[in-house]
Amino acid sequence: MSRQSLAARTGDRIAVSLAYGVIGLGLAFLAIPLVITCLMAFDARTYLGPLPPPALSLHWFERLVSQADILTSLRTSLILAVLTTVLSVTIGTAAAVGLARANFPGKAALTSAFLSPLIVPPVVIGFGLLLFLSKAGITNGMARLLLGHVIVTLPYCIRTSLASLLGSDQRLTEAAMVLGATERQAFWTITLPLMRTGVVTGAIFAFAISIDDVSISLFLSDPSATTLPVTLVSNMRAAFDLTIAAAAVVLIAVTALLIVVLDRVVGFDTVVGQGLFRS
Amino acid sequence: MTKVRRQPVAISIPDRRDAALTLGPALLVFAFGFLLPLINLAIESLKEFTPGRVGSVENAAATVQNYYELANQAFASVLLTTFWIGGVAAIIGQLVAFPLAYFIVRRISPRMRALTLGFLITLVLSSVLIKTYAIELTFGSVGILRPLLLTLGLSPNSREYINIVVTAGLVHSIIPVATLTLIGAMQSIDPRLLDAAQSLGAPGWKAHLSITLPLSFPALISSTLVSLTFAISAFVIPMVLGRGRVLFISNVIYTRFSDIANYPSGAAISLVMLAAALAVVAVITFAQAWKVSR
Amino acid sequence: MISAVEFQGVSKRFGETVALGNISFSVNSGETIALLGPSGCGKTTILRLIAGFERPDKGSILIDGEPMAGLKPYERNVGLLFQHYALFPHMTVEQNIGYGLRHRNHPSGQIPRRIAEMLELVRLVGFGQRRPHQLSGGQQQRVALARALATHPSLVLLDEPLSALDAKLRHELRTELKDVLAAVGSTAIVVTHDQEEAMSLGERIFVMNRGAIMQSGRPDDVYWRPDSHFVADFMGRTNWIHGSISAAGGTAGKFRSESGWEFPVAFTGSLSGAAEICVRPESVEISSGAPGAGAMPGRVADVVTLGAFRHIVLDLVSGDRLISACPNRPDIAFARGQEISVSIPPEACVLFAR
Repeated sequence: MSRQSLAARTGDRIAVSLAYGVIGLGLAFLAIPLVITCLMAFDARTYLGPLPPPALSLHWFERLVSQADILTSLRTSLILAVLTTVLSVTIGTAAAVGLARANFPGKAALTSAFLSPLIVPPVVIGFGLLLFLSKAGITNGMARLLLGHVIVTLPYCIRTSLASLLGSDQRLTEAAMVLGATERQAFWTITLPLMRTGVVTGAIFAFAISIDDVSISLFLSDPSATTLPVTLVSNMRAAFDLTIAAAAVVLIAVTALLIVVLDRVVGFDTVVGQGLFRS
Repeated sequence: MTKVRRQPVAISIPDRRDAALTLGPALLVFAFGFLLPLINLAIESLKEFTPGRVGSVENAAATVQNYYELANQAFASVLLTTFWIGGVAAIIGQLVAFPLAYFIVRRISPRMRALTLGFLITLVLSSVLIKTYAIELTFGSVGILRPLLLTLGLSPNSREYINIVVTAGLVHSIIPVATLTLIGAMQSIDPRLLDAAQSLGAPGWKAHLSITLPLSFPALISSTLVSLTFAISAFVIPMVLGRGRVLFISNVIYTRFSDIANYPSGAAISLVMLAAALAVVAVITFAQAWKVSR
Repeated sequence: MISAVEFQGVSKRFGETVALGNISFSVNSGETIALLGPSGCGKTTILRLIAGFERPDKGSILIDGEPMAGLKPYERNVGLLFQHYALFPHMTVEQNIGYGLRHRNHPSGQIPRRIAEMLELVRLVGFGQRRPHQLSGGQQQRVALARALATHPSLVLLDEPLSALDAKLRHELRTELKDVLAAVGSTAIVVTHDQEEAMSLGERIFVMNRGAIMQSGRPDDVYWRPDSHFVADFMGRTNWIHGSISAAGGTAGKFRSESGWEFPVAFTGSLSGAAEICVRPESVEISSGAPGAGAMPGRVADVVTLGAFRHIVLDLVSGDRLISACPNRPDIAFARGQEISVSIPPEACVLFAR
C-alpha cells in the first residue's frame, strides 16, 4: 500500500469516527434530557433530588391532576386546539386551492404573504394582537386566543395543502372533466382526496402547535381563558418541582400518539418530502 | 352511445368568483390577525409613554422617543446577546444536523430510518416548554447532569454557564428541524456521484466535501436561516433557562408589557426585532441567489 | 357525409404567441389520423381545442356536424388519453375506468359489466383492484386507454400515447393500440412528434409547423412526395443536394450539383434555376462495377448497422457525402474504404426551389 493511500485511509477513518462521534453525541443530547425527565416524573421523593430516584411512585401525577387550575387550563387548551385545527385546515385548504389555480399576477407575492407569519417572532404577533384586539374592542379571551392560534397555524396548513396540490391538480382535473365531471364534481372527487396527505399533516401540526404554544398565549390569556402551557409556566416560576415532569410525560405521550397517527395516515417519508421541511 | 349532456351555456367566469371564495377567508384572517396588528404596532411605537400609567398617552403627538431610548448600552447588550447566542446555536445545530441527516438517509435500514424520523418529528411537535424544562432539569441549577459540566471548570452560577445552558436549549430545538430539512435535500443527491468521486481517487471525506456539501448548500443556507430566525425569536427558552440573567429581545418586550406596561416601548422593540428578522431573511436569500448565479 | 371532426378557419393565440393560424381540416368518421410536428407547432393546442379546454379566438369547431362553441369538456363526449396518462392515483384501476361511466350517466347496473369489457379489451383482466403506482408504464397506458374508451366516445384523442415507453414496449403497444382502435371503431386523432409513430398509427398524416398545416395525406404520399423542405426533412432521414436545374423539361430534366455532378431527374415541373434535391437513403443506388451515365464514383466511408438495416456513408469523388440505406443481409455487404459508384434514380428525386 502506498504512502499516499495509507494517509488517505487514515484520514478517512478519522473523519468517519469524528462524524459518528458527532452523530452519537447529538442523538444522546436530544434524548437524554427527555429520558431523565420521564424517569424523574416517577420519583417517590417529595423534593427534587439527584439521580437516580430511590423509589418509584405516581404521586407527582396525582398532584398534577389534583390541581384545579391545571385541569381547567387543560380543558381550555384542548377545546382551543380542536377549534384552531378545524379553522386552520378549512381556511388553509381553501386558500391552497385558490393559490394553486390562480392566474393573476402577484400570485407568488400573495403566497409569500400568507406564509410570512412564519418568520415573524411569535412574541411580536402575540403582543401586536393584544394591542390591536383591545383597541378593536374584542375582549373575549377565548376569541383572542383562537385568532392568535389560527394566525400561527394557518401558514403550515396552507403550505402542506399547496405542496400536495402542485404539479398534478390541473392535469387530473382536466382528465375528470373530459370524462364527464363538472368543475364542482371534479373538485370533490379528485382535488380534495388528492390533498388528503397535505390536509392531515397540516391538521396534526396545527393541533400540536396550538397545544404547545406559549409565547402568543402568554399575551392573550386572561383569567377567563388560560392555556395549559401558560399555567405550567407560572407553576414553574412559583416552584420548580417534578409536577411539571409528570405533565411532560403526559404531553410527550400525546405527541407520540399524534406521530403514530401521522405515520399511519400519511407516512414519514411524505411528511419530510412534502414541503414542511422543504428548503 | 350515451347521450351527451346538451345545454350549451354562456361562457361563465367562475374563476373570479372561485378565487374570492377560496382566498377570501384567508385574506380576512391575515388582514385582521396579522397585517392590522402590525400596522397598529407601528403606530403605537410612535406614541408617548408616561411612567406609572398603563399604555400610551391619549392624543399625544407622534414621537420617535421610544426608538431613541433603545440606543443605549443595555439594549445593545441584549441585541448582542440574542444574535451572538442565536448565531452560535444555529451553527452548532447545522454541524450536528448535517452528518445526522446523511446518516439517516444513506446509512441505516428502512425500519431504523422510520423510527429515527418518528423520534425527530416527535421532538419537533413536542412542546418547547417541556423540552426546555427537561434541559433545565438536566443541566440547570438543580441539574442532574450538572457534575458533567462542572468538570469542564465552570462555576454553576456564572454568566458563562447560563449562556451555555441557553445555547444548549436552543440547539436542542434546532437540531430536529435542521435535520429534517437537510434530509429532504440529501435524498435528492444521487449516491452514484459519491461512487464516481471515489473511483476518481477521492477518499470518503474529500468526496463529501466536494460533492455532498456543495449539492446540499442551498438547503444548508435555508436551514441556517430558519434556525437563526427561530433562535433570535426565542422566548420560552431564554425565559426559563436564562433565569433573568440572560435576556433575549422577546423577553425585553414581555417585561415592557407585563412589568412596566410601557406598550409604546414594547411596540418599538417589536418593530426593531421584526426588522432584524427580516434582515436575516433578506441577507440569506440574497446570498443564496448570489451563490446560485455564480 | 358528415365529418367526425371539422375545423373551419380556427385561430388561437396565447398572449403574443400564435399557436394556430387559420387552420381548416376535416377528419372522416372512423378514420385514424396523426398530427405530426415539432414541439410548439400547435398540435397539442388542436387537441385541447377539440376537448374543450381552450376556446378558439376565431373560427369554429364541429364534432359530428355539431358546433362546439360554448360547450364545456364534460358536455362533449370525447375520449382523451393524456400524455403521462393522468390516472387518478387515489383510485383503483376499476374506479378509474368507471369514472367516466359514472359521470356520464351510464345506467349504473351496467357499469361493472362495461368495466369488465374494457379490461378484457386492453388485456388487463384481473388488474381491477390495483392502484396506478402498482402498475408498469405499459399497463398504466392501457388503463388510460380503457378509461378514455369506456364511455363509447365517437372521437378519441391520444396525446403522445407511446412517448413515455421504452422502445420495445412501444413497438408492441403500437399494434395493440391499432387493434383496439379498430375494434372500437371510433375516429381517432393521434398527436405525436415521432414520425415513426405517426406513420404507423395514422391512416392520414397532418404535418404541422408553427401553427400551420404544412401537408396532409397518406403516410407514403407524405414520405415520398413531400411538398416542402420542412416536411421532407421532418418525415425521416434524407439526403440534400444543392445545385441548379441545368435542363428543364417537364418530366425529364437534368440537375447539376454545386459540386459539379450532373444527372437526370424527373418531375422538374415549373422549376428552374437554383434548386435542391431530396433523396431518401433507400433510393440511393450503389454498384461495384464501372460507373454508368450520371453515376458518380466514390468510396465507402462508414457502415453503420442499425439492426434490420444498414446506413452506408458514402464519400463521393465530387465531394458530396450521401447516406444510403440497405437491408442488413449477408449477401449485401460493404466494407470501409471499398470503391463503389453511386447513382440516383430520376424518379426518386424531389425538387424544391432554393
